[in-house]
Amino acid sequence: MLRNLTLLKPSNRLGQSLFGALTRHSSLDATSTGGFKQQTAETVREVKHHDGLAADWWNKTGQMAALHAMNEIRVPLIRDGIVARGNVKAHYINTTKVLSGQRILDVGCGAGLLTEQLARLGAHVTGIDLGEELIKAARVHLANCSPELSDRVEYKMEPIDQHAKGNCECYDVLILSEVLEHVDDKVALLSSCVQTLKPGGSIFITTMNKTLPMWLGGVVLGEYVLNIAPKGTHHWDKMIGPLDVQRILDTMNCQTVLVNGSTYDFWRNTWRWINSTQLCYALQAVKQMPTESS
Amino acid sequence: MLVLLHKNAGAAVGNQVRNIAKRLLTTTAAGSTTTTTTKTAPATEHYDIIIGGGGLVGTTLAAALAKNTTLADKKVLLLEGAPPFKGFNSSGPYQNRVSAINRNSVELFKSIDAWAHIEAARYKPVKQMQVWESNSNALIQFQHDNFASDVACIIENDLILDAVYARVRDSADNVKVLNKARIECVSLPGATGAPHSHVQLQDGRSFTCELLIGADGANSVVRKQMGVDVFSFNYERMGLVATLDLNMEEDSDNSVAWQRFLPTGPVALLPLTSKQSSLVWSTTVPHAKQLLAMESAQFVDALNEAFCREYPRIDVADKALQALNSFFGNSGSQHQRQYPPRVCGVQDGSRATFPLGFLHASSYVCNGAALVGDAAHRVHPLAGQGVNLGFSDVRILVETLATGAYAGFKLGDTQHLIKYERKCLAKNVPIMVGVHGLHTLYSTEFSPVVLLRSLGLQLTQNLPPIKNIFMKSAMG
Repeated sequence: MLRNLTLLKPSNRLGQSLFGALTRHSSLDATSTGGFKQQTAETVREVKHHDGLAADWWNKTGQMAALHAMNEIRVPLIRDGIVARGNVKAHYINTTKVLSGQRILDVGCGAGLLTEQLARLGAHVTGIDLGEELIKAARVHLANCSPELSDRVEYKMEPIDQHAKGNCECYDVLILSEVLEHVDDKVALLSSCVQTLKPGGSIFITTMNKTLPMWLGGVVLGEYVLNIAPKGTHHWDKMIGPLDVQRILDTMNCQTVLVNGSTYDFWRNTWRWINSTQLCYALQAVKQMPTESS
Repeated sequence: MLVLLHKNAGAAVGNQVRNIAKRLLTTTAAGSTTTTTTKTAPATEHYDIIIGGGGLVGTTLAAALAKNTTLADKKVLLLEGAPPFKGFNSSGPYQNRVSAINRNSVELFKSIDAWAHIEAARYKPVKQMQVWESNSNALIQFQHDNFASDVACIIENDLILDAVYARVRDSADNVKVLNKARIECVSLPGATGAPHSHVQLQDGRSFTCELLIGADGANSVVRKQMGVDVFSFNYERMGLVATLDLNMEEDSDNSVAWQRFLPTGPVALLPLTSKQSSLVWSTTVPHAKQLLAMESAQFVDALNEAFCREYPRIDVADKALQALNSFFGNSGSQHQRQYPPRVCGVQDGSRATFPLGFLHASSYVCNGAALVGDAAHRVHPLAGQGVNLGFSDVRILVETLATGAYAGFKLGDTQHLIKYERKCLAKNVPIMVGVHGLHTLYSTEFSPVVLLRSLGLQLTQNLPPIKNIFMKSAMG
């Protein structure tokens, strides 16, 4: 409904972000056939929408303020989630080298907000995204503002399924932060993601739940009243609940070990963990060793 | 023997000649290279954190940063305008600048291993504090139950500095101290779009850093560059400090701090030893100058009079207090009142004055910079809170930087630094408003105000839960 509405509006900034998620319909060229074409067009719309925000992406007080603020909770979640798996040497804990040696794939990295911050903890991070402007902005920011990270960060503009072909089972950690709610074919996306992950590696997902409070708070209030996110960023039919994500991951031999609910206080631009997953949530799943698979 | 000497001398001379020749050759070579390098690029050294100002708060911050495990790999530079600290002699006469250090600040010193140093030298624990005024009988006493723990510790500022400098020197390979380093100008990334903050010294040296911390006092250069709004005013009062000799009875241990509010401002005695106390007397500017110029004997008389003199009473207030006290079952405040020991002398040359002002910066942080201590806030000394607020800033800032660094934030990232500001404001603002309020409340002799403040003070004295709230916030 909402999506149709936004599509009809000529003033709609058609592009929104993007997220590398695109899976099977990796081609950006919308000349294929039938239903195929429709989905591709939707993907193109998402990519364009987010690409249009590239220039403002690193502005802490701009349209991406809430995403900047989210680093305050998502980086510690990822860090502690990795540490909890026992893959971090004891003498790195509590130092800024805590993620040294970890290979991380950040799918739908945007202009690299999360990518750079994880690299600053010592990890080698590859960020992929479908937005050309976003990847450009990410590279420019890396070169200008964080040159010390440049040997640990790599950005690529390519879809995940293509990336997965050449990088099978080569990452310790996979991150899908604020991406799932922009992708139609979640199964295809997740299966490509899991493919790149080493057995024993973790996948971290943050997204919004498919609930009425979330839709009212995040979409209606957030985009149309408070302008926390640009209009047309989120859509009801693309949101997905934690149980559904968990079910999909189960079929891919990934065991969910953590689901945390979070919420955003717009009046002070701060995210915090809450006891309910009714709004946003973060999820960690661990890819099981092949021997354990049934 | 002589021959031997002669031989040696000959060899020495030969060596010397060779050395000189060598040095001449090398200096010409080295000289030419150094001149070329200075011409091409005035070397800009990069640090993770630069602290502008090596006073009590700045140096403690350097020691606390060095001590933190998460921040242990950060390179820190401490810039101090004065020549190297001369050190502290714990058997010499007491210094006139002392601080009343509260429990939270003591905890900070313990956490950076500086407390043992202070304990080994000298400090005076205060068991009780008595505050009373001149226009009525109202009186309040602060102490822990059965004097179980100290209300505060009186420590000389130079001793604190000595203790934290020792920590910086001994344990901190990553902290460099630069003396006689006066900041000429700074530039911050917010304004220039550069990735780093930049500091230029008056002698031409320049540095870049991720985070520049302004610990450079009430006239902070860093704060000016940050462009934050500052709310400040002058109290039109001077603080006068001195080290006093007391006429104490033999068995008394002088562990009470005394403060009396006079119409011109509060006068306080802070214990140093069983025979000596430190004075902090806030008064009008002409009066302070007069006190500074007086003969010692005359000054001592003026001081004793300040503590004992009967000012015109506000009868209504006294009667109301009597009623209040009988309501609480006290037979009047008189029996509780203790009088401070008589002052019998003042140490030569220990009298000094300093101006009193109020200052608060609207913001403590911006991209690439943060403020601590007097650079961010300055209060009236009447509750001894100024330096304790500074130490509380240090604790909160180090905690914030450590959690930020452990979450991959850049040190100067406002996204995370703002947490430091939020925590500090929540703590500092109520205390600052309270201290300023007390000053205003007690600088009048207008009877309704005297009545109300006396009742308020006495109610607080008689209602332990309320008293505990004040004690908690003052003691951290």
